[in-house]
Amino acid sequence: MLEQMFTVAFLTTFLTSSVRMAVPLIFAGLGETFSEKAGILNIGVEAIMLSGAFFSFAATYVTGNLWLGLIGGMIGGMMVSLIHAVFSICLRKDQTVTGIALNMFILGATSFMFKILVNNNPDFPQISTFHKIAIPMLCDIPVIGPAFFNQDIIVYASYVLIILSTLFLYGTTWGLSLTAVGEHPRAADTVGIKVYTIRYLAAMINGVLGGLGGAYLTLVQLGVFMENVTSGRGYIALAVVIFGRRHPIGVFLAALLFGAADAFQFRLQAIGIQLPSQYLTMLPYVVTLVVLLFSAKGSSDPQSLGKPYIGDAR
Amino acid sequence: MAFLKMEGVSKFFPGVIANKNVSLEVDQGEILALLGENGAGKTTLMNILYGLYSADEGEIYINDKKVFFSSPRKAIKAGIGMVHQHFMLVQTLTVLQNIILGLKPKGYPFIDYKKITNQIKLLSNKYGLAIDVYKRISELSVGEQQRVEILKSLYREAKLLIFDEPTAVLTPQETDEFFDILQKLKEEGHAIIIITHRMSEIMQVSDRVTILRDGKNVVSLKTNETNPHELSLYMIGRELKDDTTKNDVKTKGELLLSIKNVTLKEKSETKLNHINLNIHRGEIIGIAGVDGNGQNELANIIAGIRKCDDGEIVFSGESINKRTVLERFNRGIAYVPDDRHKDGLVMDLDVSHNLMMRSYKKEPFSKHLVLNRQSIIKMADNAIKTYSIKTPNTTTDVKLLSGGNQQKVILARELYENPELIVVSQPTRGLDIGATENVRMLLSEMRNSNKSVLLISADLEEVLILSDQIAVMFGGQIVGIMNNDENLDMQKLGALMGGHLDQPSDVQEQGILMGSHLKEVSKQG
Repeated sequence: MLEQMFTVAFLTTFLTSSVRMAVPLIFAGLGETFSEKAGILNIGVEAIMLSGAFFSFAATYVTGNLWLGLIGGMIGGMMVSLIHAVFSICLRKDQTVTGIALNMFILGATSFMFKILVNNNPDFPQISTFHKIAIPMLCDIPVIGPAFFNQDIIVYASYVLIILSTLFLYGTTWGLSLTAVGEHPRAADTVGIKVYTIRYLAAMINGVLGGLGGAYLTLVQLGVFMENVTSGRGYIALAVVIFGRRHPIGVFLAALLFGAADAFQFRLQAIGIQLPSQYLTMLPYVVTLVVLLFSAKGSSDPQSLGKPYIGDAR
Repeated sequence: MAFLKMEGVSKFFPGVIANKNVSLEVDQGEILALLGENGAGKTTLMNILYGLYSADEGEIYINDKKVFFSSPRKAIKAGIGMVHQHFMLVQTLTVLQNIILGLKPKGYPFIDYKKITNQIKLLSNKYGLAIDVYKRISELSVGEQQRVEILKSLYREAKLLIFDEPTAVLTPQETDEFFDILQKLKEEGHAIIIITHRMSEIMQVSDRVTILRDGKNVVSLKTNETNPHELSLYMIGRELKDDTTKNDVKTKGELLLSIKNVTLKEKSETKLNHINLNIHRGEIIGIAGVDGNGQNELANIIAGIRKCDDGEIVFSGESINKRTVLERFNRGIAYVPDDRHKDGLVMDLDVSHNLMMRSYKKEPFSKHLVLNRQSIIKMADNAIKTYSIKTPNTTTDVKLLSGGNQQKVILARELYENPELIVVSQPTRGLDIGATENVRMLLSEMRNSNKSVLLISADLEEVLILSDQIAVMFGGQIVGIMNNDENLDMQKLGALMGGHLDQPSDVQEQGILMGSHLKEVSKQG
């Protein structure tokens, strides 16, 4: 049993699937990072991902084109995020309640639309998925090479995105404005930063990235859509954001940790460990709880997280 | 030709006239003081000028050109800078990042730290505003944060600088430094408007004074042709009563409250560090110090809201360490917290409910868990008369009352059961002169009827007016206790408040001496 686990082959497949499991969390986590940095706490990541997963599948299923599927996923995620934005920015409703309501609404809505979409098709509808592209030289590094550099194009896009986000947040005046809007919107307002515009933009980024995260599930990992296909990954993405302290690189590492937990339980099942599979499927969620327990709360939260901004308040 | 001219400006909020036909002007190289009570419309007027509100009537001219600011961005572009009373700084960002916030500096959208640092250095050298641009705002003192705000405006090439209550939170030393900066700004040809209600400061720094009352212009005067008495007459529209806060009873009574070696920790931070303090009957002890140096924690451990980690609190000869808030209140410790809205009142409840909040468990207000509405209303009616609380009736929500009347509700509640000791924190913060006068009279009446008062106030003037003894808090410690008499050394007081414990070398010794002197007195008592 243990010998089975400490082979190069096992480590390679384990790490490879860790990365694949982490990708949806990386995208969704990055999106939520932008949103929370701007002061919007969107619990509806699950809904965004689910919507992204459905619309990416639907677009590919109808057109047969994976790229159109990606675009569909982005739009699907963005629509959900914009609903949340209108409720929390313009209508100043409770952001948490709105997010939870969206999670439940989208769960029902996507299942319903899926039924309509595949109504005439008695078979289990399936789409082709993105292929792996090996990066020369880098993919030859033992263990790490195949895991990180023999993946599909979306995985590589996530690497680029992490670097760009870090640059954006910490190296540009745009990042400063975003941070200021989340920390002290009135201060931002008094220096002429458009608080509402930035919050809407952040919400849109959140929708696009979360939608991509969802699209990865259907377009790469599964090739199918089913009811509740995200099964709580949106909530794990929220934990990723907290554990990653709203820093893109932190989010990346945290997503890898959760991805590894997910991959580990699959591997254990594959080896045929003598444990009911339910215990193993629990693992990522247990890790989430443990991680939240140990990550210090509060200190890194933006000051105005979850609070609506009222510009003309006396 | 004045740099800025505002003519006939009016602003109406639903049900309130904030400004009515207000005019003022200020020239470059001139300091204009804008004087008025709270609610006189000073801040609204300045917010109109800064583009945060738009005026309903009237015009604004800059260099004789008519302007209209629909947003702060436009006001900034026209050369107007504002230093708000509550600083508009992002605590988690650095000085430099705050200064360039919202701008498109060199290298946009990327930040050329080196170039910007040099630009800021030039400015700070020119105006004497020394600051480390790479420090986070949360690491700075209040005085330093103010400097960042000024630099922020100067970096935006502001010609006119507006200061809203700039000295309210500064120590005397920081205030002096601030006035030096003002002079520098004036010499460099900036126009300056300073909003304040402190007469001494107006006389010291301003060239002209414009006075607002009830949202209207009262008068504009040259500072050197007027005096504080005349100014206050214009400001409140009547004579102030004679100073009633003097201590008639000069002899100290017996020891009432004794805080012995009290320490309070929060996580790894020491909030209170071995505090020793004695309060006798018939005295007001004032706690001076810049906000956030442990004053609130001190009030909390006396009122019982927090329990100290170490040390002992003795009240009327009994250790009350383990007593709850209610038990302490029943023994005679009343408490007026600094934040009226958050801690002092339940804003969504009416006046009568807020008034009975300390006593509702007792007869006649309740019996067998059932409230007696009638007796509560009767008590509330009495309180409204006694403390002249201005409210439509007893069932009006307290959130609809003015700040002064809210404070009166709190005081009426706390004084209802005739406490022996009242701990008051920032009792007059945000109140107008009339209400302030009222509250201070109540406190000195307490003292004169042989009760005790622990007065915590960031307003040093208030501490000086009311207290018999002044204890200075810094970094969770009492760094000095001084008698408030004609021998009081303001320099030392200021140094202690600023945390300069060793510069005047004898201060600490004196503080310790005072402490030991107090201990002896307490033994005799």
